Amino acid sequence: MSRLLEVVSLSKHYRKQLGLFRQTTIQALNNVSFSLGAAQTLAVVGETGSGKSTLAKVLVGIEQPDEGEIRLAGQAVTLSHYRKYNHVIRYMFQDSERALNPSQKVGSMLDHVLRFSTVLDEPQRQQKVLQSLQQVGLMDEHIDFYPHMLSAGQQQRLALARALILDPKILILDEALTVLDPTLRAQIVNLLLELQQKNGLSYLLISKNLRLVRHISDHCLVMQHGQVVEAGDTEQLLNQPQHPHTRKLMGLS
Amino acid sequence: MLLLDIRNLTLELETSQGLIRAVDRVSLSLREGEIRGLVGESGSGKSLIAKAIVGVLNQRWRIKADRFHWCGVDLLQLPFDQQRKIIGRDIAMIYQEPSKCLDPTALIAEQLHESIPNQLLKGGWWNRARQKRKKAIALLHKVGIKEHQSVLESYPYQLSEGVCQKVMIAMAIAKNPKLLIADEPTTALEASTQAQLFRLISSLNQLKGMSVLLISNELDSIARYTHRLSVLYCGQLVESGETARLLAQPFHPYTDALIKSVPEFQPDLAPKSQLYALPGSIPTLQHLPVGCRLGPRCPNARKECVHTPALERKQHHFYSCHFPLQYKEPQ
Repeated sequence: MSRLLEVVSLSKHYRKQLGLFRQTTIQALNNVSFSLGAAQTLAVVGETGSGKSTLAKVLVGIEQPDEGEIRLAGQAVTLSHYRKYNHVIRYMFQDSERALNPSQKVGSMLDHVLRFSTVLDEPQRQQKVLQSLQQVGLMDEHIDFYPHMLSAGQQQRLALARALILDPKILILDEALTVLDPTLRAQIVNLLLELQQKNGLSYLLISKNLRLVRHISDHCLVMQHGQVVEAGDTEQLLNQPQHPHTRKLMGLS
Repeated sequence: MLLLDIRNLTLELETSQGLIRAVDRVSLSLREGEIRGLVGESGSGKSLIAKAIVGVLNQRWRIKADRFHWCGVDLLQLPFDQQRKIIGRDIAMIYQEPSKCLDPTALIAEQLHESIPNQLLKGGWWNRARQKRKKAIALLHKVGIKEHQSVLESYPYQLSEGVCQKVMIAMAIAKNPKLLIADEPTTALEASTQAQLFRLISSLNQLKGMSVLLISNELDSIARYTHRLSVLYCGQLVESGETARLLAQPFHPYTDALIKSVPEFQPDLAPKSQLYALPGSIPTLQHLPVGCRLGPRCPNARKECVHTPALERKQHHFYSCHFPLQYKEPQ
């Protein structure tokens, strides 16, 4: 049986202009391969500039890879049918306060997502919006709120609702948990774990907080300069790190 | 002797909705050569307290305190210029986002030279520039920057966040302050640089006997480096005491929740199990609950909690709760 998400030798580089004729290339991703099963969490750890966020962007289709293949349930993915596969992979940004449109009410923000990518009619969409608000622990009244009227934790929940409204199979959390206050983070972590158990959601967690990684992830990738230097079972990897870079990340964190 | 002794500090802001009390009767005392942690979530008034100590709060804030002593001198009673003089000599502060707090239009060398006070230099004005250059290099070495020449000749945007933060610390320790206030020094940094910085701060503390007030919103990252901790919630001091004892036996339900919400402090917690979390979220400053501000979220709140609890003391451990945890009332 094929896994939910398979990534085979993904590469991506950026060109940087250094003047009129000179340019350098930055290898953001270099031959990255991994796979993710249903109801599992894969953590990606590494320093800034190690290509974690590029990986996430390539996966959701913000950036196009140079080489390599992304397979969803055995089927290769290309940008051309983005609408079909954005149901499956959703992305949650780091700073939810800035990722939400300040001039749009909560209800219409969620509604837009549905209008763009589904064929539901008005009452169905309405129902879906309410349902997804409930799912993340917000109330029906919040539909008429603007994002600034919500607290930081509620905004994070709203961002989560926006990601979950299309019933994705995979959710990418790009440092979405690092900026939160500790007690709020515990709430969101509990919510994510509950959703995973109930709906079989898979997460790709990008984080530098290794304690959190240890707690919620099943597998772990350690990246350095766009390359995967170590991968494996989280428990095993963090207990017996092999690569010097992993040890550096751990020993000092 | 107590270096800093603050009793019942209250900071109020007058707005169109009425008076907002952002910091409510917080006491804080710091001994010489101590690293004190100040922990609280965003909006709990940590940075306000730090700014009140350095005296850079906006004019609109009303500062009231029963006692605001620095080395035995009440700072609030002093005229403004004397206050500035004392603070400028003894207290240094490093800010949250180093690359934004440094002057983007000036070279690091210029900024460092500016922060070195003339009193520390010997000789006449003619060899000041040379001495400053020498001192700046020594400062950079002290904070662990080896390639001093390239750093001195660059602008803040050319340096990484971690190096910028080190430059900030170098500027702060240039005048040999008695107290260093570090306001979330590591939030913008990655894990490995974070640890480096904390080690740097604690080595400064040990070698020079510099007191440090370390402000953070995460208990786990600073617990290892502090001697004592004060925990704030919504502008109220909920608990303070020696770090080890506070972590081992918290009296306040909020401290307890903070400790339990971190997987690291719970070694026997199974992976993927639910974390302990308080319900609800932090109230906004416009809609603060009466009495104990944790009240609506507290698991064991009772009728009495509508009155603000007084700060109680048990040996060196202060807490403000009507119903402290693990504490049996005397029969």
